[in-house]
Amino acid sequence: MSDGLSAEHQDIWRFVGDNAGAWDIAGEIPRTVLTELGASGVLCAEVQKQYGGLGLGSQESGALTAHAGSLCSSLRSVMTSQGMAAWTVQRLGTRDQRAMFLPQLIGGRLAAVAFSEPDAGSDLGAMTTELRFVDDTVIVDGSKTWITAAAYADMIVVIGKAGDNAAAVVVPADAEGVRIEKIPHPTGCRAAGHARVRLDGVRVPAANVLGGTGLSLPFLVTTALAYGRMSVAWGCVGILRGCLDAVTEHARTRQQFGKPLAEHQLVSRRIAELYAAEQIATAVCRHASERWDSGSPDQVIATVLAKHVSATQAVQGSASALQVMASAGASDGHVVARANRDAKLMEIIEGSSEICQLELARHALATGNSSVRQEEAQ
Amino acid sequence: MTPEQQTEKAPFDTDAVVDEITRFVAKQTRTSPEADQDLFATGVANSMFAMQLVVFLEQAYSVTVAGPDLQLSNFRTVKSMAALVGRLQADAAADSDV
Repeated sequence: MSDGLSAEHQDIWRFVGDNAGAWDIAGEIPRTVLTELGASGVLCAEVQKQYGGLGLGSQESGALTAHAGSLCSSLRSVMTSQGMAAWTVQRLGTRDQRAMFLPQLIGGRLAAVAFSEPDAGSDLGAMTTELRFVDDTVIVDGSKTWITAAAYADMIVVIGKAGDNAAAVVVPADAEGVRIEKIPHPTGCRAAGHARVRLDGVRVPAANVLGGTGLSLPFLVTTALAYGRMSVAWGCVGILRGCLDAVTEHARTRQQFGKPLAEHQLVSRRIAELYAAEQIATAVCRHASERWDSGSPDQVIATVLAKHVSATQAVQGSASALQVMASAGASDGHVVARANRDAKLMEIIEGSSEICQLELARHALATGNSSVRQEEAQ
Repeated sequence: MTPEQQTEKAPFDTDAVVDEITRFVAKQTRTSPEADQDLFATGVANSMFAMQLVVFLEQAYSVTVAGPDLQLSNFRTVKSMAALVGRLQADAAADSDV
Protein backbone atom coordinates (compact mmCIF):
# COMPACT_ATOMS: atom_id res chain seq x y z
CA MET A 1 0.00 0.00 0.00
CA SER A 2 1.26 3.46 -0.84
CA ASP A 3 1.56 5.87 2.07
CA GLY A 4 2.97 8.64 -0.08
CA LEU A 5 6.43 8.11 1.42
CA SER A 6 7.41 4.80 -0.13
CA ALA A 7 10.00 4.21 -2.84
CA GLU A 8 7.72 5.22 -5.72
CA HIS A 9 7.58 8.77 -4.36
CA GLN A 10 11.18 9.15 -3.21
CA ASP A 11 12.42 10.85 -6.36
CA ILE A 12 9.80 13.57 -6.18
CA TRP A 13 10.44 14.21 -2.47
CA ARG A 14 14.19 14.45 -3.13
CA PHE A 15 13.42 16.93 -5.89
CA VAL A 16 11.26 18.95 -3.47
CA GLY A 17 14.05 19.00 -0.87
CA ASP A 18 16.63 20.10 -3.42
CA ASN A 19 14.48 22.92 -4.81
CA ALA A 20 12.50 24.26 -1.84
CA GLY A 21 14.98 27.06 -1.23
CA ALA A 22 14.83 28.25 -4.83
CA TRP A 23 11.02 28.12 -4.81
CA ASP A 24 11.00 30.23 -1.64
CA ILE A 25 13.17 32.88 -3.32
CA ALA A 26 11.17 32.77 -6.55
CA GLY A 27 7.87 32.83 -4.64
CA GLU A 28 6.56 30.02 -6.80
CA ILE A 29 6.52 26.24 -7.08
CA PRO A 30 6.54 24.99 -10.70
CA ARG A 31 3.03 23.96 -11.63
CA THR A 32 4.25 20.67 -13.09
CA VAL A 33 5.53 19.65 -9.64
CA LEU A 34 2.15 20.36 -8.02
CA THR A 35 0.26 18.63 -10.81
CA GLU A 36 2.47 15.55 -10.56
CA LEU A 37 2.10 15.38 -6.78
CA GLY A 38 -1.64 15.97 -7.14
CA ALA A 39 -2.04 13.16 -9.64
CA SER A 40 -0.20 10.77 -7.31
CA GLY A 41 -2.77 11.50 -4.60
CA VAL A 42 -0.35 12.84 -1.97
CA LEU A 43 -1.75 16.39 -1.89
CA CYS A 44 -4.98 15.08 -0.30
CA ALA A 45 -3.92 11.68 0.95
CA GLU A 46 -7.02 10.99 3.06
CA VAL A 47 -9.34 10.77 0.04
CA GLN A 48 -10.83 7.30 0.13
CA LYS A 49 -9.73 4.55 -2.23
CA GLN A 50 -13.20 4.26 -3.77
CA TYR A 51 -12.51 7.65 -5.39
CA GLY A 52 -8.96 6.67 -6.37
CA GLY A 53 -7.28 8.28 -3.35
CA LEU A 54 -4.57 6.85 -1.09
CA GLY A 55 -7.13 6.41 1.70
CA LEU A 56 -4.68 7.21 4.49
CA GLY A 57 -5.78 7.54 8.11
CA SER A 58 -5.02 10.69 10.08
CA GLN A 59 -1.84 9.25 11.62
CA GLU A 60 -0.36 8.16 8.27
CA SER A 61 -1.48 11.34 6.56
CA GLY A 62 0.15 13.28 9.40
CA ALA A 63 3.46 11.51 8.82
CA LEU A 64 3.28 12.45 5.15
CA THR A 65 2.34 16.04 5.95
CA ALA A 66 5.23 16.35 8.41
CA HIS A 67 7.62 14.96 5.80
CA ALA A 68 6.48 17.52 3.23
CA GLY A 69 6.66 20.23 5.90
CA SER A 70 10.22 19.31 6.82
CA LEU A 71 11.24 19.96 3.20
CA CYS A 72 9.01 22.84 2.08
CA SER A 73 6.25 24.55 4.06
CA SER A 74 4.97 26.22 0.89
CA LEU A 75 4.27 22.83 -0.64
CA ARG A 76 2.84 21.61 2.65
CA SER A 77 0.49 24.64 2.62
CA VAL A 78 -0.71 23.64 -0.83
CA MET A 79 -1.36 20.14 0.60
CA THR A 80 -3.33 21.69 3.46
CA SER A 81 -5.54 23.58 1.00
CA GLN A 82 -6.06 20.61 -1.29
CA GLY A 83 -6.79 18.32 1.65
CA MET A 84 -9.20 20.80 3.19
CA ALA A 85 -11.03 21.16 -0.12
CA ALA A 86 -11.34 17.37 -0.40
CA TRP A 87 -12.46 17.10 3.23
CA THR A 88 -15.10 19.81 2.70
CA VAL A 89 -16.44 17.98 -0.36
CA GLN A 90 -16.37 14.69 1.57
CA ARG A 91 -18.11 16.13 4.61
CA LEU A 92 -20.58 18.59 3.11
CA GLY A 93 -21.16 17.14 -0.34
CA THR A 94 -23.79 14.68 -1.49
CA ARG A 95 -22.85 11.29 -2.90
CA ASP A 96 -23.05 12.70 -6.45
CA GLN A 97 -20.83 15.65 -5.54
CA ARG A 98 -18.22 13.41 -3.92
CA ALA A 99 -18.20 11.26 -7.05
CA MET A 100 -17.82 14.35 -9.23
CA PHE A 101 -15.17 16.36 -7.36
CA LEU A 102 -12.97 13.93 -5.38
CA PRO A 103 -11.54 12.09 -8.42
CA GLN A 104 -10.56 15.50 -9.85
CA LEU A 105 -8.68 16.37 -6.65
CA ILE A 106 -6.56 13.24 -6.87
CA GLY A 107 -6.28 13.56 -10.64
CA GLY A 108 -3.97 16.56 -10.79
CA ARG A 109 -6.46 19.41 -10.48
CA LEU A 110 -5.61 21.85 -7.68
CA ALA A 111 -7.98 23.43 -5.17
CA ALA A 112 -8.15 26.12 -2.51
CA VAL A 113 -10.72 26.95 0.16
CA ALA A 114 -11.71 30.60 0.55
CA PHE A 115 -12.82 31.75 4.00
CA SER A 116 -11.20 35.07 4.92
CA GLU A 117 -12.10 38.48 3.54
CA PRO A 118 -10.57 41.95 3.89
CA ASP A 119 -12.98 42.73 6.77
CA ALA A 120 -13.55 39.18 8.01
CA GLY A 121 -10.47 37.40 9.35
CA SER A 122 -10.90 35.83 12.79
CA ASP A 123 -14.41 37.32 12.74
CA LEU A 124 -15.65 35.20 9.85
CA GLY A 125 -19.24 36.00 10.82
CA ALA A 126 -18.60 39.40 9.26
CA MET A 127 -18.05 37.90 5.79
CA THR A 128 -20.09 39.54 3.03
CA THR A 129 -19.57 37.09 0.14
CA GLU A 130 -23.05 36.22 -1.01
CA LEU A 131 -24.65 33.35 -2.89
CA ARG A 132 -27.93 34.06 -4.69
CA PHE A 133 -29.97 31.33 -6.34
CA VAL A 134 -31.65 31.96 -9.67
CA ASP A 135 -33.35 28.83 -10.98
CA ASP A 136 -30.62 26.16 -11.16
CA THR A 137 -27.76 28.66 -11.08
CA VAL A 138 -26.02 30.29 -8.13
CA ILE A 139 -24.52 33.77 -8.48
CA VAL A 140 -21.49 34.46 -6.26
CA ASP A 141 -20.36 37.97 -5.34
CA GLY A 142 -17.58 38.82 -2.90
CA SER A 143 -13.92 39.35 -2.21
CA LYS A 144 -11.68 36.83 -0.45
CA THR A 145 -8.12 37.48 0.63
CA TRP A 146 -5.03 35.56 1.74
CA ILE A 147 -6.42 32.39 0.18
CA THR A 148 -3.62 29.81 0.33
CA ALA A 149 -2.89 28.06 -3.00
CA ALA A 150 -5.50 30.14 -4.84
CA ALA A 151 -2.83 31.30 -7.32
CA TYR A 152 -2.44 27.66 -8.44
CA ALA A 153 -6.03 26.52 -8.03
CA ASP A 154 -8.22 25.12 -10.79
CA MET A 155 -11.19 25.26 -8.44
CA ILE A 156 -11.97 27.27 -5.33
CA VAL A 157 -14.34 26.18 -2.58
CA VAL A 158 -15.91 29.52 -1.67
CA ILE A 159 -17.60 29.93 1.71
CA GLY A 160 -20.35 32.53 1.66
CA LYS A 161 -23.68 33.58 3.03
CA ALA A 162 -26.92 32.34 1.47
CA GLY A 163 -29.78 34.29 3.01
CA ASP A 164 -29.66 33.74 6.77
CA ASN A 165 -27.52 30.63 6.39
CA ALA A 166 -24.19 29.73 4.82
CA ALA A 167 -22.97 27.51 2.04
CA ALA A 168 -19.81 26.26 0.34
CA VAL A 169 -19.76 26.34 -3.44
CA VAL A 170 -17.18 24.94 -5.85
CA VAL A 171 -16.19 27.71 -8.27
CA PRO A 172 -13.96 26.93 -11.28
CA ALA A 173 -11.03 29.38 -11.25
CA ASP A 174 -11.59 30.12 -14.94
CA ALA A 175 -15.28 30.99 -14.53
CA GLU A 176 -16.25 34.40 -15.87
CA GLY A 177 -16.04 37.04 -13.14
CA VAL A 178 -13.30 35.33 -11.09
CA ARG A 179 -10.10 37.35 -10.68
CA ILE A 180 -7.13 35.92 -8.80
CA GLU A 181 -4.29 38.26 -7.77
CA LYS A 182 -1.24 36.97 -5.93
CA ILE A 183 -0.43 38.53 -2.55
CA PRO A 184 2.88 40.28 -3.23
CA HIS A 185 5.83 39.12 -1.08
CA PRO A 186 4.26 37.20 1.84
CA THR A 187 6.73 36.89 4.76
CA GLY A 188 6.25 33.12 5.09
CA CYS A 189 5.31 30.14 2.92
CA ARG A 190 6.31 32.44 0.11
CA ALA A 191 5.63 29.93 -2.65
CA ALA A 192 2.24 28.76 -1.33
CA GLY A 193 0.33 30.84 -3.87
CA HIS A 194 -1.54 33.11 -1.43
CA ALA A 195 -3.92 35.25 -3.42
CA ARG A 196 -6.85 37.59 -3.34
CA VAL A 197 -9.92 36.15 -5.05
CA ARG A 198 -12.53 38.54 -6.41
CA LEU A 199 -15.89 37.17 -7.48
CA ASP A 200 -18.09 39.50 -9.50
CA GLY A 201 -21.43 38.01 -10.50
CA VAL A 202 -19.86 34.58 -10.98
CA ARG A 203 -22.48 32.11 -12.21
CA VAL A 204 -22.04 28.41 -11.47
CA PRO A 205 -24.53 25.52 -11.47
CA ALA A 206 -26.48 25.21 -8.22
CA ALA A 207 -25.30 21.59 -8.23
CA ASN A 208 -21.87 22.97 -7.21
CA VAL A 209 -23.25 24.11 -3.84
CA LEU A 210 -21.99 21.41 -1.45
CA GLY A 211 -24.84 19.68 0.31
CA GLY A 212 -27.27 22.55 0.48
CA THR A 213 -27.84 25.94 1.99
CA GLY A 214 -29.28 25.25 5.42
CA LEU A 215 -25.92 25.26 7.22
CA SER A 216 -24.98 27.74 9.93
CA LEU A 217 -21.80 29.67 9.15
CA PRO A 218 -19.88 28.86 12.39
CA PHE A 219 -20.71 25.18 12.03
CA LEU A 220 -19.64 25.12 8.39
CA VAL A 221 -16.37 26.91 9.19
CA THR A 222 -15.61 24.66 12.17
CA THR A 223 -16.23 21.58 10.06
CA ALA A 224 -14.12 22.67 7.10
CA LEU A 225 -11.26 24.03 9.25
CA ALA A 226 -10.90 20.84 11.27
CA TYR A 227 -8.86 19.14 8.54
CA GLY A 228 -6.82 22.27 7.88
CA ARG A 229 -5.89 22.56 11.53
CA MET A 230 -4.62 18.98 11.71
CA SER A 231 -2.65 19.55 8.54
CA VAL A 232 -1.07 22.77 9.83
CA ALA A 233 -0.27 21.07 13.14
CA TRP A 234 1.58 18.21 11.43
CA GLY A 235 3.21 20.73 9.10
CA CYS A 236 4.64 22.45 12.18
CA VAL A 237 6.09 19.11 13.29
CA GLY A 238 7.76 19.05 9.88
CA ILE A 239 9.15 22.56 10.34
CA LEU A 240 10.74 21.45 13.61
CA ARG A 241 12.15 18.25 12.08
CA GLY A 242 13.69 20.22 9.22
CA CYS A 243 15.32 22.51 11.78
CA LEU A 244 16.53 19.59 13.89
CA ASP A 245 18.26 17.97 10.91
CA ALA A 246 20.02 21.18 9.90
CA VAL A 247 20.96 22.23 13.42
CA THR A 248 22.37 18.92 14.64
CA GLU A 249 24.47 18.59 11.48
CA HIS A 250 25.76 22.14 11.83
CA ALA A 251 26.48 21.90 15.58
CA ARG A 252 28.42 18.66 15.12
CA THR A 253 30.60 19.96 12.31
CA ARG A 254 31.17 23.68 12.80
CA GLN A 255 34.14 24.45 14.99
CA GLN A 256 34.51 27.60 17.13
CA PHE A 257 37.01 28.23 19.93
CA GLY A 258 38.69 24.95 18.99
CA LYS A 259 35.70 22.61 19.40
CA PRO A 260 32.38 21.77 17.74
CA LEU A 261 29.48 24.14 18.46
CA ALA A 262 27.64 21.26 20.15
CA GLU A 263 30.24 21.19 22.92
CA HIS A 264 29.48 24.77 23.90
CA GLN A 265 26.87 24.48 26.64
CA LEU A 266 24.91 27.61 25.77
CA VAL A 267 24.59 26.31 22.22
CA SER A 268 23.58 22.80 23.27
CA ARG A 269 20.78 24.25 25.39
CA ARG A 270 19.27 25.64 22.16
CA ILE A 271 19.45 22.16 20.63
CA ALA A 272 17.65 20.75 23.68
CA GLU A 273 14.95 23.40 23.30
CA LEU A 274 14.49 22.49 19.65
CA TYR A 275 14.39 18.76 20.39
CA ALA A 276 11.79 19.31 23.14
CA ALA A 277 9.69 21.45 20.79
CA GLU A 278 9.72 18.71 18.13
CA GLN A 279 8.76 16.03 20.68
CA ILE A 280 5.95 18.13 22.19
CA ALA A 281 4.49 18.95 18.78
CA THR A 282 4.72 15.32 17.66
CA ALA A 283 3.01 14.06 20.82
CA VAL A 284 0.11 16.48 20.64
CA CYS A 285 -0.44 15.73 16.93
CA ARG A 286 -0.35 11.96 17.53
CA HIS A 287 -2.85 12.39 20.35
CA ALA A 288 -5.25 14.21 18.03
CA SER A 289 -4.74 11.89 15.04
CA GLU A 290 -5.40 8.83 17.22
CA ARG A 291 -8.77 10.35 18.09
CA TRP A 292 -9.54 11.00 14.42
CA ASP A 293 -8.64 7.43 13.53
CA SER A 294 -10.78 5.97 16.32
CA GLY A 295 -13.72 8.29 15.58
CA SER A 296 -13.65 9.79 19.08
CA PRO A 297 -15.63 13.02 19.68
CA ASP A 298 -12.53 14.24 21.57
CA GLN A 299 -10.93 14.80 18.15
CA VAL A 300 -12.61 18.20 17.94
CA ILE A 301 -10.83 19.80 20.87
CA ALA A 302 -7.67 17.69 20.41
CA THR A 303 -7.36 19.23 16.93
CA VAL A 304 -7.50 22.77 18.27
CA LEU A 305 -4.95 21.85 20.92
CA ALA A 306 -2.63 20.26 18.34
CA LYS A 307 -2.80 23.26 16.04
CA HIS A 308 -2.18 25.77 18.82
CA VAL A 309 0.61 23.86 20.58
CA SER A 310 2.42 22.85 17.39
CA ALA A 311 2.39 26.36 15.96
CA THR A 312 3.67 27.81 19.23
CA GLN A 313 6.41 25.18 19.46
CA ALA A 314 7.38 25.74 15.81
CA VAL A 315 7.87 29.46 16.43
CA GLN A 316 9.95 28.87 19.56
CA GLY A 317 11.89 25.92 18.16
CA SER A 318 12.71 27.61 14.87
CA ALA A 319 13.95 30.67 16.78
CA SER A 320 16.30 28.43 18.78
CA ALA A 321 17.39 26.79 15.53
CA LEU A 322 18.22 30.06 13.84
CA GLN A 323 20.23 31.16 16.89
CA VAL A 324 22.40 28.03 16.58
CA MET A 325 22.77 28.35 12.81
CA ALA A 326 23.50 32.07 13.09
CA SER A 327 24.76 33.49 9.80
CA ALA A 328 24.80 30.03 8.19
CA GLY A 329 21.01 29.96 8.37
CA ALA A 330 20.29 33.63 7.87
CA SER A 331 19.87 33.71 4.10
CA ASP A 332 16.49 33.52 2.38
CA GLY A 333 15.93 30.05 1.03
CA HIS A 334 17.86 28.26 3.80
CA VAL A 335 15.72 25.62 5.51
CA VAL A 336 16.05 27.30 8.93
CA ALA A 337 15.48 30.81 7.59
CA ARG A 338 12.32 29.51 5.92
CA ALA A 339 11.29 27.68 9.09
CA ASN A 340 11.59 30.85 11.10
CA ARG A 341 9.38 32.84 8.71
CA ASP A 342 6.95 30.04 7.89
CA ALA A 343 6.35 29.09 11.54
CA LYS A 344 5.20 32.59 12.40
CA LEU A 345 2.48 32.35 9.76
CA MET A 346 1.30 29.10 11.38
CA GLU A 347 0.37 31.06 14.53
CA ILE A 348 -1.85 33.24 12.36
CA ILE A 349 -3.65 31.01 9.86
CA GLU A 350 -6.37 28.36 10.28
CA GLY A 351 -7.49 30.02 13.52
CA SER A 352 -4.95 32.33 15.16
CA SER A 353 -3.35 31.31 18.44
CA GLU A 354 -5.76 33.69 20.17
CA ILE A 355 -8.85 32.12 18.55
CA CYS A 356 -7.56 28.65 19.46
CA GLN A 357 -6.95 29.77 23.03
CA LEU A 358 -10.50 31.09 23.30
CA GLU A 359 -11.82 27.72 22.13
CA LEU A 360 -9.57 25.81 24.53
CA ALA A 361 -10.58 28.04 27.44
CA ARG A 362 -14.26 27.63 26.60
CA HIS A 363 -13.82 23.87 26.53
CA ALA A 364 -11.94 23.84 29.84
CA LEU A 365 -14.60 25.99 31.49
CA ALA A 366 -17.41 23.77 30.17
CA THR A 367 -15.90 20.44 31.12
CA GLY A 368 -13.80 21.25 34.17
CA ASN A 369 -11.23 18.51 34.59
CA SER A 370 -13.51 15.75 33.35
CA SER A 371 -11.22 14.98 30.41
CA VAL A 372 -8.39 14.29 32.86
CA ARG A 373 -10.64 11.99 34.87
CA GLN A 374 -11.73 10.19 31.70
CA GLU A 375 -8.15 9.49 30.69
CA GLU A 376 -7.26 8.25 34.14
CA ALA A 377 -10.22 5.88 33.96
CA GLN A 378 -9.03 4.37 30.66
CA MET B 1 -36.83 -3.93 1.79
CA THR B 2 -40.40 -5.14 2.31
CA PRO B 3 -42.50 -4.04 5.31
CA GLU B 4 -42.25 -7.60 6.65
CA GLN B 5 -38.46 -7.46 6.68
CA GLN B 6 -38.56 -4.11 8.48
CA THR B 7 -40.74 -5.47 11.27
CA GLU B 8 -38.28 -8.31 11.78
CA LYS B 9 -35.55 -5.83 12.64
CA ALA B 10 -35.21 -4.62 16.22
CA PRO B 11 -37.30 -1.45 16.45
CA PHE B 12 -35.41 1.80 16.84
CA ASP B 13 -35.52 2.59 20.57
CA THR B 14 -35.90 6.37 20.60
CA ASP B 15 -36.07 6.61 24.38
CA ALA B 16 -32.77 4.77 24.82
CA VAL B 17 -31.07 6.97 22.23
CA VAL B 18 -32.46 10.11 23.90
CA ASP B 19 -31.02 8.86 27.20
CA GLU B 20 -27.59 8.15 25.70
CA ILE B 21 -27.35 11.51 23.95
CA THR B 22 -28.52 13.27 27.11
CA ARG B 23 -25.77 11.55 29.11
CA PHE B 24 -23.13 12.59 26.55
CA VAL B 25 -24.28 16.23 26.55
CA ALA B 26 -24.48 16.24 30.35
CA LYS B 27 -20.97 14.85 30.76
CA GLN B 28 -19.44 17.21 28.23
CA THR B 29 -21.17 20.36 29.44
CA ARG B 30 -21.81 19.70 33.13
CA THR B 31 -25.47 20.57 32.62
CA SER B 32 -28.69 18.55 32.80
CA PRO B 33 -30.32 19.10 29.41
CA GLU B 34 -34.02 18.46 28.82
CA ALA B 35 -34.77 16.38 25.74
CA ASP B 36 -36.44 19.32 23.98
CA GLN B 37 -34.16 22.07 25.29
CA ASP B 38 -32.63 24.26 22.55
CA LEU B 39 -28.95 23.64 23.33
CA PHE B 40 -27.74 26.57 21.21
CA ALA B 41 -30.28 29.18 22.35
CA THR B 42 -29.59 28.26 26.00
CA GLY B 43 -25.81 28.59 25.59
CA VAL B 44 -25.03 24.91 26.25
CA ALA B 45 -23.66 24.28 22.75
CA ASN B 46 -21.65 26.22 20.18
CA SER B 47 -20.25 25.24 16.79
CA MET B 48 -17.30 23.35 18.33
CA PHE B 49 -19.61 21.30 20.50
CA ALA B 50 -21.93 20.74 17.53
CA MET B 51 -19.04 19.07 15.75
CA GLN B 52 -18.35 16.92 18.80
CA LEU B 53 -22.01 15.90 18.65
CA VAL B 54 -21.64 14.98 14.98
CA VAL B 55 -18.67 12.72 15.71
CA PHE B 56 -20.37 11.27 18.79
CA LEU B 57 -23.50 10.30 16.84
CA GLU B 58 -21.38 8.80 14.07
CA GLN B 59 -19.32 6.71 16.48
CA ALA B 60 -22.14 5.66 18.79
CA TYR B 61 -24.69 4.73 16.10
CA SER B 62 -22.53 3.78 13.10
CA VAL B 63 -24.08 6.45 10.90
CA THR B 64 -22.54 9.11 8.66
CA VAL B 65 -23.75 12.65 9.16
CA ALA B 66 -22.79 14.48 5.99
CA GLY B 67 -24.10 16.89 3.39
CA PRO B 68 -27.51 18.42 4.05
CA ASP B 69 -27.81 16.53 7.37
CA LEU B 70 -25.20 18.85 8.91
CA GLN B 71 -27.89 21.50 9.37
CA LEU B 72 -27.73 22.93 12.86
CA SER B 73 -31.47 22.31 13.31
CA ASN B 74 -30.67 18.59 13.49
CA PHE B 75 -28.50 19.22 16.59
CA ARG B 76 -30.65 21.84 18.29
CA THR B 77 -32.18 19.44 20.85
CA VAL B 78 -31.48 15.96 22.15
CA LYS B 79 -34.78 14.88 20.58
CA SER B 80 -33.87 16.26 17.15
CA MET B 81 -30.55 14.37 17.30
CA ALA B 82 -32.32 11.14 18.20
CA ALA B 83 -34.70 11.70 15.28
CA LEU B 84 -31.72 12.25 12.97
CA VAL B 85 -30.10 9.00 14.12
CA GLY B 86 -33.36 7.13 13.59
CA ARG B 87 -33.72 8.49 10.09
CA LEU B 88 -30.07 7.85 9.15
CA GLN B 89 -30.26 4.25 10.37
CA ALA B 90 -33.46 3.71 8.39
CA ASP B 91 -31.83 5.31 5.31
CA ALA B 92 -28.76 3.10 5.69
CA ALA B 93 -31.00 0.02 5.96
CA ALA B 94 -32.68 1.09 2.71
CA ASP B 95 -29.24 1.92 1.22
CA SER B 96 -30.19 5.46 0.31
CA ASP B 97 -26.96 7.25 1.09
CA VAL B 98 -27.14 11.05 0.59
